[in-house]
Amino acid sequence: MKPTFALIRTSAGTSPVAIALGVAILAGLFLFPNFVQSPYALHIMILFFLSTIQGEAWNIIGGYTGQYSVGHAAYFGAGAYTTMILMQYKQIPPWYGMLAGIGVALVVSLIIGSICFRLRGPYFVLASIAVAEIMRLSAMNLKDITNGAEGILITEIPVFKIGETIVTDFLSKVPFYYIGLVIALITILVTWMVQNSKLGYYFQAIREDQDAAHSLGISLPIYKNIALALSAIFTSLSGSFYAVYIGFIDPPTVLALDISVQIVLICIIGGIGTIWGPVIGAMVLVPLSEALRSNLIAQMIFKTGLTSEESGIGTFLKENLAHAHALIYGILVVVVILFMPDGILGWVKKLTAKKGRG
Amino acid sequence: MTVLLQSLISGILIGGVYALIGIGLTIIFGVMRVINFAHGDILMVGMYMTYILFTSLGIDPFVSIVITIPLMFLFGAFLQKLFINRMQGALPQNQILLTIGLGLIMSNTMMLIFTSDYKILSTSYSSESFNVAGISISSPLAISFLITAAITLLLYWFLLKTDTGQAIRATAQDREAAQLMGINVRWMSILAFGIGSALAGTAGALISPTYYIFPQIGGIFTLKAFVITVLGGMGSIVGATLGGVIIGVAESVSAVYISSGWKDVVVFVLFLLVLLFKPAGLMGKSRM
Amino acid sequence: MMKRGFVFVLAFCLALPGISLAANVKIGFINSITGPEAPIGENLTNGVTLAIEDLKKKGIDVQLLKEDDTGKPQISMSAMEKLAGQGVSGVVGPYTSACANAVAKLAEKYKVPLLVPAAAKEEITRQHLKYVYRLNAPADQYASSLIDAALAMGKPKTVAFIYENTDFGTSTTKTAKEYVAKKGIKVVADESYSKGSPDYRSTLTKIKAQKPDLVFMVSYVADAILLMRQSREIGLQPQAFLGGGAGFTTVQFAKEKEISNNVFSTTQWTDDVNWPGAKDFFNRYKSKFGKEPTYHAACAYQAMLIMAETASKNGGDREKTRAGLKSGSWKGIMGDTKFEDYDGFTNQNKHQMLILQIQNGQFETVFPIKFASKKPVFPFPKWK
Repeated sequence: MKPTFALIRTSAGTSPVAIALGVAILAGLFLFPNFVQSPYALHIMILFFLSTIQGEAWNIIGGYTGQYSVGHAAYFGAGAYTTMILMQYKQIPPWYGMLAGIGVALVVSLIIGSICFRLRGPYFVLASIAVAEIMRLSAMNLKDITNGAEGILITEIPVFKIGETIVTDFLSKVPFYYIGLVIALITILVTWMVQNSKLGYYFQAIREDQDAAHSLGISLPIYKNIALALSAIFTSLSGSFYAVYIGFIDPPTVLALDISVQIVLICIIGGIGTIWGPVIGAMVLVPLSEALRSNLIAQMIFKTGLTSEESGIGTFLKENLAHAHALIYGILVVVVILFMPDGILGWVKKLTAKKGRG
Repeated sequence: MTVLLQSLISGILIGGVYALIGIGLTIIFGVMRVINFAHGDILMVGMYMTYILFTSLGIDPFVSIVITIPLMFLFGAFLQKLFINRMQGALPQNQILLTIGLGLIMSNTMMLIFTSDYKILSTSYSSESFNVAGISISSPLAISFLITAAITLLLYWFLLKTDTGQAIRATAQDREAAQLMGINVRWMSILAFGIGSALAGTAGALISPTYYIFPQIGGIFTLKAFVITVLGGMGSIVGATLGGVIIGVAESVSAVYISSGWKDVVVFVLFLLVLLFKPAGLMGKSRM
Repeated sequence: MMKRGFVFVLAFCLALPGISLAANVKIGFINSITGPEAPIGENLTNGVTLAIEDLKKKGIDVQLLKEDDTGKPQISMSAMEKLAGQGVSGVVGPYTSACANAVAKLAEKYKVPLLVPAAAKEEITRQHLKYVYRLNAPADQYASSLIDAALAMGKPKTVAFIYENTDFGTSTTKTAKEYVAKKGIKVVADESYSKGSPDYRSTLTKIKAQKPDLVFMVSYVADAILLMRQSREIGLQPQAFLGGGAGFTTVQFAKEKEISNNVFSTTQWTDDVNWPGAKDFFNRYKSKFGKEPTYHAACAYQAMLIMAETASKNGGDREKTRAGLKSGSWKGIMGDTKFEDYDGFTNQNKHQMLILQIQNGQFETVFPIKFASKKPVFPFPKWK
């Protein structure tokens, strides 16, 4: 049994402190919109849920099964486009469109799986990129269906009713907050169930040694495809959710290669093949990119009085830190990969293990 | 007929430059088994180097490769020694992410220095062309094709006839066996990354007079380089040469007979077909 | 330097106590500072910087909250949300159509006046949004004004389109196609390309085989130069090359005399047009930033002036500022500005597009006649 299992077991199973903490965090998350009304804060939380869903979904195929897809934008885009096309041109509300999106993503995943799973290692990575690129270019060129580069914009989301009671009209961010939270929790739960099931055992066997797994009678194509399908379902959900929330999609924003890379990064930076890795990855990356982008860091430096806004260094920082955010992102990736190859979670575990021993 | 011939010729000329990019990637992969996602960004660095040499010192882009090649070699060797080397034998996804991270650093550093303006290098011959039997051929593209061919031949000679070249090939074929034979594998890796980077940088220099430069240009070429190397067979130099020309022609011909919007799809479909039906690529595996 | 400016403003405010009351306004500015759109974004930033200086001279001290949207709609939305929460009186931006479109809905939701300076997508001001204003002319104007100019000069029968497969490229081409259909011109080629393809020769060869009377291109600067270079290489020879905005109106393009001469293009702004302050803006911009301003810079400059002045006049109140934008009219470097409702547009400035032709490396306004500085050269002379 891997140490990751042990940690999850303790945090989710035995220790009462951990249970209490978990319940408190969960309650806090559900009550959050009651205390914080700032749409900006809610927006950041929604982005955090979105990243968690993406990272956790990738984790199933990339983390547990060891198939490093760098083409997850394909499923993200499939969900986003299906939902938006149905809503815009057929007036089908997004909660049905989301299901249709899952259907489309499953079909896409089966096609991709049947092509790409014949390949291993780097070839699989490249094939997954190629398929996602074909999807992006097709969305660009099939103007009659996707509206091409102009993208699809929705201005109104239909009101969600159960019977005659209006549940929500989607005018504020709160419904999106709860939808994001619930999908994120379901994704985490499913990953947890997978990890602790026979399925998860097969997945990990494939990751550790494909040939050995095969000789134990584990059918590689079947289980790889199951893992990919599970991953595709949740990535597609995140795509639908994103599309409806933002209200605008076009090929570069939902099908581009950097979306795929971003999804992988969430997982790798947090800790691959663990339940909480993607959550931590999202928790680090979302605020970090937001802080870098909005020049929060330069402002913090001014507040601490290290240098003033008017001084030479101050102006330099103000002008360049915002420009440099992608640079800092790149440096972060390199540092994490070089010094924390198991992600932040793995690094923390190693530290605590050392302390425990010493 | 002229249309077909015209697109074939343009495809072959551009394909020559693609080949150079592909050869660089294939050498790096062959020796180190690392897929270099920063390959296009290295090419971009080469382009900026050419740009500086041209604008501040007035050195012609085609002449400047004498400076670009050694500098880019050192740059690649430095990257290998400092970063990639630590990842030898690490999980492939971590290697990929490391190179993605390095690519991000390169492109964004360039953006801080040069801003993200498009730089156009206008030489006196940038839009020169000559006619052969009614088909117009771009002069700078023709020159760069000849230089590419010369460099490729030189590289073949180096890998086939020199001791170092043979050591690189041996490392590519079987790293452990090469080590047992007393080959300094670490040194070969540095050499391979250096040569790969120098080739990418040269390709950047050669297309500068007919193309444009901006910090994010790398991604386009990274993807192309992958397609080319897989098509030819990862690790095969002859394959990469062939792959480059095939991709150049495929793009150019499909732009005419299908549409320019779909030409990249054609390239990727071709790529998937090769992966599926001849995964070792056109020229087999690891034979340099 | 900064101190002196401050003292100057202080003195100015003291001298005119009436203005100092309206002094401090908080304005948001969303722009693509990094990311793929950054090269153009920079022009907007510079334009706004000049506007802030000028506002200071007028006694309006703008507290500018700059936000980078990196060219991505979701990021521009979080920027807008942040600005709304920080109590800005109004927002200028974002640059790209996709971002402006996404932010427009939010502006309406939070009741923050938004002035879009340079995004061309028609839909932005076609959604009946009360809080969304646009200074520049929308994409349909690009195409129709160019085609009209071509029809005024000759009798073109066929047209070939080649355009970048971005929102701007496709939507401009779409309206152009609708417009030429009305005018009875036949479309003989319709080719989109993705940015960064090094070789357009085969596409251009295909177009050449169709012998079009007009070649209509929509590209950013680098591709504009590449397309014209390669057109010359293969000898594409229509009656006129029409460049739909963007790259064809840049100085960098005009400088490539060999290939850019006699190409027509359309723009929102030039320095030689007789709108008040245009030339002066050009000179100051050039001496401050070391390069010549694009129309984006002029649009952003004027948009910031309008927004800050209106907000300042209304004491920073969002609702009053919105009403002020609706009722006001301005005369400045973008000519006459007024936000009107017409042809399905809401709060859209009926901006006059200018038709330019490059002659000897210089942009000359050739249409409309009342702004023209030179006569057009037509048809396109044989390539040398």
